[in-house]
Amino acid sequence: MSEQQTPANDKQAGTPQDDVTHFGFRNVPKTQKAGQVAEVFHSVAGKYDLMNDLMSMGVHRLWKRFTIELSGVRPGHQVLDIAGGTGDLTMKFSDLVGTSGKVVLADINASMLQVGRGRLMDRGYAGNIDYVQADAEHLPFPDNSFNAVSIAFGLRNVTDKDQALRDMTRTLKPGGKLMVLEFSKPTNPLLNKAYDMYSFNALPLMGQLFAGDSESYKYLAESIRMHPDQDTLKGMMEQAGLVNCKYYNMTGGIVALHVGIKP
Amino acid sequence: MFPGPTLLSAMTAVVEGALNRALELDPAGRKALLGALTGPVQFTLTAPLHLTFTLIQNHDRVCVSSQPAETAALELTGKPMAFAALAGGDDQVFQQGRIDVTGDAALAHQFQRALNQLDPDWEAALATHLGDVPAHFIGQRIRGAVKWSRQAFSVLNANIEEYVHEESRTLPGRRELEATFEDIDQLSLQTDRLEARLSLLERPTNAEPPETP
Repeated sequence: MSEQQTPANDKQAGTPQDDVTHFGFRNVPKTQKAGQVAEVFHSVAGKYDLMNDLMSMGVHRLWKRFTIELSGVRPGHQVLDIAGGTGDLTMKFSDLVGTSGKVVLADINASMLQVGRGRLMDRGYAGNIDYVQADAEHLPFPDNSFNAVSIAFGLRNVTDKDQALRDMTRTLKPGGKLMVLEFSKPTNPLLNKAYDMYSFNALPLMGQLFAGDSESYKYLAESIRMHPDQDTLKGMMEQAGLVNCKYYNMTGGIVALHVGIKP
Repeated sequence: MFPGPTLLSAMTAVVEGALNRALELDPAGRKALLGALTGPVQFTLTAPLHLTFTLIQNHDRVCVSSQPAETAALELTGKPMAFAALAGGDDQVFQQGRIDVTGDAALAHQFQRALNQLDPDWEAALATHLGDVPAHFIGQRIRGAVKWSRQAFSVLNANIEEYVHEESRTLPGRRELEATFEDIDQLSLQTDRLEARLSLLERPTNAEPPETP
């Protein structure tokens, strides 16, 4: 690993260990992480879809498609799509739940929510979608509200992941399914090396060329490395009260879909 | 395990896209197929590939999923070749037991009929890209080639059958074989009757007559 890829130990002067969290490879006070993540997403919101397609070479659509297939969402279901961003999953959920169901697209970032809302409206999705600006750690929904809750490429940006998982579980109906689609750890060492090279060199370059912002994409690569691996996240989901937790490695473990059921 | 989730999703995406594109070219066929998809229809492929695909109706589209349905209205299980034969219009796959059907049998027949009725207008699709005249020209040639190959295949089959049965006498002729089987059936029936008669005659004669009221 290059020096660039090593997490820094620059603790904030005078900040107790418990009050800091990582923002990429840097440690920042917990109170500042949400604001810094928000800045990243305000910056990339306009080019979010284009960059997703470029960076993943379109494969992110297949990862999301598998998530939808595994969701088991049917007409009449209530679905919460947290960190829904530009609404890729919401669109599919909206088709599946039909007019008798409801999908809530929630995102902490107003810019992303605005882009998502515009995109869905432009495509004729209306009537069964609600838009809510909400923090995944403090969801403004009653207990046992949703048949399925999804969070795609959002959990790694959350400050307190355990709290977020607990709150998502709280909003699920008994028997409901939580799906966490997130970057993870490649299982093949050779792929891991190639992936590191790609992430730390190509991503910031693409960000600079197409979105005029390399720092946000450097953060993306760093935040992926700081995210818990497959088994750790599975354990965290079990700690949050979910059962039958399992994960599906996709594209060699670059991305993993974790699924758990609320008992 | 091969194929992984990403490849499975790619497969279902390609199949779903192709199926819906074909259905767009045959509105009557689409109506019939959507009518048959009142509930999820699940296809379970056995050896050598262990895969499950589910067809679900979603408005006026058919969705293909790589996951089993929670409550399938119809479940078809068989080898990939049997499904290929079904897709090619072979009606015998159910009777021959090459595909097992679980669930609503009437729905299975409706689904099979809908598949057989599918006749997408490929020429119209081609015409939107190439224009009417070239599309019709290509369409005619393709139809001609398909018709010729079908005819050639059936003639080849008939010739081989005739050679094996009539010329080389490697196998007995169909009618000859049918007559022999009929004779064997008759003989078997006569033997059964004779056996029944003998057992009747062997019954002890001093048996008490049945009681009369």
